[in-house]
Amino acid sequence: MAASLLELNEVQKDYRIRRFGRIIRSSNALNKLSFNVKKGQIFGFLGPNGAGKTTTIKCITGILKCDSGTISIDGKDIENNDFENKNKIGFLPEQIGLYGNLTTMQTLRFYGGFYNISESIIEDRGGKLLDLLGLSKSSKKPVGEFSLGMKKRLALAVALLHEPEILILDEPTSGLDPRGVKALRTLLLDLNKKGLTIILSSHVLSEVQEMCTDVGIINNGKMIRQESISKIIDTVEKTAIKLSLRLNNFTKKDQKILEKNKGIRILENNNLGKHKRIILSLKEDLIPWVTDMLVKNGTKIFSIEPHNTTLEDVFLTETGDKE
Amino acid sequence: MNIDDLMDKANNRWKSLDIWQPMLISISIVMIVAIAHKFDWETNTETDPENIWNEQEINKDGNNWTINFNYDIGDTIIFKGVLQTSPTSETYPTDIITGKFSEGEGIVYTEDLYGKTMLNLDGMRILINGNLSGKFYESEIVTVEATLVERVGYFEKSDQNITLTSELWMAETDDVKLASEKDYYYFALELLILGVGTYFTIKRTKNLKEQMGFAKHIALFELKRGMKAPRMIVLGLFFTLFIVGIGWLLGDLQNSQSTFAVQNADDGIIRLAYFTFFVVSMAAIAVSVDSFHKERQSNTLNMLLARPVNRETIVLGKALGLSLVVGIPAFLAQILGLYFMTSAGETPSLGGMIAFLIFAQLMIFTMITFQLCLAVSAKTGSDVVIYGLGAWLLFAVVWTLIVYTISFAIGVDINAENFENDSNYQTFASRIGLLNPGIVYQMAVGLFTHRTIAIDLEGVPGWLVLLSLVLWPLMCLRTATWLFKREMKG
Repeated sequence: MAASLLELNEVQKDYRIRRFGRIIRSSNALNKLSFNVKKGQIFGFLGPNGAGKTTTIKCITGILKCDSGTISIDGKDIENNDFENKNKIGFLPEQIGLYGNLTTMQTLRFYGGFYNISESIIEDRGGKLLDLLGLSKSSKKPVGEFSLGMKKRLALAVALLHEPEILILDEPTSGLDPRGVKALRTLLLDLNKKGLTIILSSHVLSEVQEMCTDVGIINNGKMIRQESISKIIDTVEKTAIKLSLRLNNFTKKDQKILEKNKGIRILENNNLGKHKRIILSLKEDLIPWVTDMLVKNGTKIFSIEPHNTTLEDVFLTETGDKE
Repeated sequence: MNIDDLMDKANNRWKSLDIWQPMLISISIVMIVAIAHKFDWETNTETDPENIWNEQEINKDGNNWTINFNYDIGDTIIFKGVLQTSPTSETYPTDIITGKFSEGEGIVYTEDLYGKTMLNLDGMRILINGNLSGKFYESEIVTVEATLVERVGYFEKSDQNITLTSELWMAETDDVKLASEKDYYYFALELLILGVGTYFTIKRTKNLKEQMGFAKHIALFELKRGMKAPRMIVLGLFFTLFIVGIGWLLGDLQNSQSTFAVQNADDGIIRLAYFTFFVVSMAAIAVSVDSFHKERQSNTLNMLLARPVNRETIVLGKALGLSLVVGIPAFLAQILGLYFMTSAGETPSLGGMIAFLIFAQLMIFTMITFQLCLAVSAKTGSDVVIYGLGAWLLFAVVWTLIVYTISFAIGVDINAENFENDSNYQTFASRIGLLNPGIVYQMAVGLFTHRTIAIDLEGVPGWLVLLSLVLWPLMCLRTATWLFKREMKG
């Protein structure tokens, strides 16, 4: 079993609002958050807005300091080994901030200057990364004239320049066109094959499901589930499946009866011209009861179709977002 | 809370200081040495000569007048004080009118006074058995080992022959020494202790070499960026023209009879220092006004903070870089200003010129770090501008008005003619001036137009001006890093 590369242990973080140096209000962002990422994993970091994903990433990258608990990389606490640990991390923030007056190579030279790498290595490695990310043609343009996608790719080159052991990506595909997304996915999978550990925070759940080996779901600053993707989906499949039904009619009475049953959730209720389509989340053994009940109430069932459980279902189930 | 809890708390606080421990220990020792320094002066010298002078008893009894002190003839005291006048103007000329009684000096003029100097030490008169012209100067802090002697003189008053038997403090020329001769030993010891503390603090700093490299990297980046910034080009041109123009004017006024006449070249350079501060501080604030806010807005700060660079290093690098952005053109403008001033007038003292140029860089660094404190604390773009403008207005424009107001509140009659020459006002203005980096710069330039730092600058000793000059940038830098680090806690 691979050793933990990144470990968070009971990390607590509050945001404080100060006035004249005195704290007038504070709100909890991370609540004894614990999780670990093993070497070689692509770890999907999921959670609804305000769950604490960005705060967690800021604590790991040293932008913020946690109030209590420990964060360690390769067993070394980041607080006492800030310099060493930051050398192991490559970070792509959600909001890209680059100096608009610099060119791509000047940007790489500036950020590369904070690592123990020579100018010639920066140029050599930087050139290859710019090639790989399709930016070599724009090398003479100031970054201020770049599109968001181009800036994101350049920021990724910055994050990879010092050959980190962990790459942390906060919403990496936002602002990228489909080609950019695909290229990024290919690049990340390729880098992972070479041994790079990747932590990916994203709202695009299909992307996480496709790329990640492991997932952690955070809600209200707490890790509520951390498992491999296959395991997490297996577990949900055992508890509930998604069922799509095409009916001639779906009355309020039917809806009330279904809602009364605690094992059933109505996910969708749509009109399809002459027909109705409802999507339910339910335990497998409840399917005969649902069909019997509908037929008994005079409803005609044209089709019944089970769906594969997606990460989105897990996410919604785990974060309690049932509405 | 019991004593154990307090001890635990103190112990934890001490441990948290970590790298600063040697520095704090050395500062504590320096403070002990400083107290010993003061104690040494207080016990081995008379530091209030004016008090002894005021205690003299003048007895005008018929034709036999006497002047007595509360000491015995032959008693020797080492006095320490400030030369209120230049010894050159206090040396008796050969055309002195003999047989005249000077009550202010407590002496009857006689031929044997020719070429001797009557020192004015904080208002006390001490007769020097020799000529001190050109050896000591006004405002210098000196020690005089004087002995109480008796002297008999005769003079006429209202057609009566008066015999004056006066006690008089006398000293040989070798008995007059600059106080700095002793001070320098203490200052050297204090600097040595501080140096050792700094050395061990630096030694404890993790990855110091790398962090210093990063500071240089950020500084050069800021320098390149700042030099190309349109606002710096405009401000640079503006302050160069201003300093050159004022320099020429101050040189020209040295030969003038106008109300605004400049006394001499040294007076000129002190005034030029003020005008330099006036414009250069504006440029310093303008270039650093949005340094953190803009980076926060554009998210470049988070990109930077994710690198293995400390927050202290970022502040230091930015402060150094921005100081160079203003400092380099300011240095060139100052040289031009000096050139025009000396062309139109006389050449100031070398010490004054060097201080004018070098300390300006410290002043710029101070203003930049001061503004960085405000820039780090500011929440919005308008906050940043208001804070910066407020700081400049306070230090460069309305300071004198504030001093007038407080002086009035504490009882100085600011409606009186020439109230600015009132010693109470001057002392207050000098002391409160230590809270303004511009005034400190001006005072430091003034200090270095003298040959020693044992100078009294209207109630403020020279060493205190130098201490302020060093403490201002250090305190601002420390505050800026502390505020910036506090952000990490959220």
